[in-house]
Amino acid sequence: MLTDLVISQSDSRPMYVQIMEQIRQRIAVGELTPGSELPSIRELAVALRVSVITIKRAYLELEHEGTIVTQHGKGSTVAPDPDLSLRFYQQQMTEHVEQVARLGKLLGLSHRELARRLREATDRLNNAETGAELMKERV
Amino acid sequence: MSELAVHFEGVTKQYPLFTLDHIDLALPAGCVMGFIGANGAGKSTTIRILMGLVHQDRGAVHVLGHAMPREQVAAKLDIGFVSEDTRLYRAATLAWHMEFIRSVFPRWDQAYAQQLLRRFDLRPEQKIKGLSHGQRVKAALLLALARRPRLLVLDEPTTGLDPVARREVLGELMAVLADEERTILFSSHNTLDVEQISDRIVFIDRGRIMDADDKDVFLDRWRRLRLVMPPDAAVPRLPGIVEVGGSPRLPVLTTNHFDTAMVSLCQETGATVQAVDCMTLEEIFLASVQNRREGQPA
Amino acid sequence: MNTSMVRRLILKDWYLNRWMLLGSIPAGLISLGIILTGNKAAFLLGVILLVMIAVGVGAQLVMETTLYERREQTLAFVMSLPVSWREYTAAKIVANLVLFLLPWAALLAGALALILFAPGVPHGFVPYVVIMAVEVLVSICLIVATALISESQGWTTAAILMATLGINGFGYYVAHNASIATGLWGSSIHWTATVSVLLLAEFAMIGLTLGLTFLIQSRRTDCL
Repeated sequence: MLTDLVISQSDSRPMYVQIMEQIRQRIAVGELTPGSELPSIRELAVALRVSVITIKRAYLELEHEGTIVTQHGKGSTVAPDPDLSLRFYQQQMTEHVEQVARLGKLLGLSHRELARRLREATDRLNNAETGAELMKERV
Repeated sequence: MSELAVHFEGVTKQYPLFTLDHIDLALPAGCVMGFIGANGAGKSTTIRILMGLVHQDRGAVHVLGHAMPREQVAAKLDIGFVSEDTRLYRAATLAWHMEFIRSVFPRWDQAYAQQLLRRFDLRPEQKIKGLSHGQRVKAALLLALARRPRLLVLDEPTTGLDPVARREVLGELMAVLADEERTILFSSHNTLDVEQISDRIVFIDRGRIMDADDKDVFLDRWRRLRLVMPPDAAVPRLPGIVEVGGSPRLPVLTTNHFDTAMVSLCQETGATVQAVDCMTLEEIFLASVQNRREGQPA
Repeated sequence: MNTSMVRRLILKDWYLNRWMLLGSIPAGLISLGIILTGNKAAFLLGVILLVMIAVGVGAQLVMETTLYERREQTLAFVMSLPVSWREYTAAKIVANLVLFLLPWAALLAGALALILFAPGVPHGFVPYVVIMAVEVLVSICLIVATALISESQGWTTAAILMATLGINGFGYYVAHNASIATGLWGSSIHWTATVSVLLLAEFAMIGLTLGLTFLIQSRRTDCL
């Protein structure tokens, strides 16, 4: 099932990062269950038409953060602890919030201004999602 | 440690107007190596020396364990070579070519050949002269792939192909790698393809290898730093900066040895680091060439 | 030397040039027919035409299998196969010789049949025709040598021109050579020592030319 990951060319992030994120997402929504087997590095490389070294990197990084477990000679499996992905996103959240605080200080924004911006961004996201659902219903 | 499918040591070849100078290459089996270089940089000469079609003046060449050009016949039995130079006979049909290749190479896989005919949408009874450029490229690839070579050497395999054909070809090339012992070396102008499927990348310019490394090392090492300078401040001078562009207040620094410490170093000089951009392989290549030709230390 | 690979390359050249080789036979036989019309002028015209066709098809074969293969870049395709440069050279030399022998033998047989069985044609022509036929072979070998060694269309064309002129000149010389001329218009085959010597010299030329070509080409290091 992992062989149908979709990599976006216009995404400016490195390919291995995209692959890592999509694997984490699949774990988060439950399409990949803890303990289930992942395709071998070569299999995935061939299926996605991506170099072996990219898949290796993705698997390596996923293992470092604890999302997957690799057994030498046996391949990789999803880690038994499902909350690990969640922990990763929490970490990202903390980093981004600190970045926002830094930028806010540079631009001289007040707390209220920062909060307003955050609200606007969340609203935009919600509207986009609703709009997308409405479009789906029409079709 | 896997065996080296291709090994060049200090290979040099002199022509009246061009010299291929001290080429060192090490391509392990099971790997994909992408060659990027401008026209006339030496890609084709290197590949010809690899195939034993041209003899090097100095240096050792080993392909699949065979010394070239002395043992070229043994090596070529396991190599599939497709290039702009190798054209098929226009008056003959694809079927005739398939039969000809089948009679020469014992590992010809007829079932796989039939599969490729379908996937590439080729009809064997067609004469080569009636095929479009893209179809001819696919035909040549079919002949190279169906004999199950241990090493595939490709000079511009996707040049001139439409996006659909390109995807098919890349897919088939990657399928070769499902077998761990098979290796691919290809040169291309299409840096997107190289970026996508290569494990190792080599930059060649004016007969010399500019840079050679694992693909992700290239992509990790190179960055563009977009800075906002306070008025009258000088652009920070950091080691590893290859190019300084942009305007005095909004400089863009290109570096080939990125380290997160650079960001803090920039900030210490009073600059704001607005963005740290990754670079595509094409941008990296162009920056390398520019840097080298201007004689700046890299 | 991998003879099966060499054989395959020769067969390949046969396959790619079969129509041209086969088609030259009826063309040659037509010019033989001209000879049948009887008078001396027609005879000479027929002979010249025959020689032209023979040299023409031989030259075309050489061009196709060597120069055009290089120009059309199918040479690199062949050299990407498990074959060495020596084997390729051997295949080219043998192919051009053997494949040319097909129309050559057919035309020679036709000419001899004409002389021996058509009424009114002096049998004394047999030695002369054999000498000229082998001389055509010598010319073709020289053209093969030029094409393979020079790799140039210009030089090869020059060689073809010189061969054509040379054959005509040679033909004139031999026809007027005292010991041959005497038996030329006779009704019996007059095989003199001169004839044997000439033939021997011609075969020696063929062997020498092809052998030298093989040696020279074997020393080449770059085929592209």
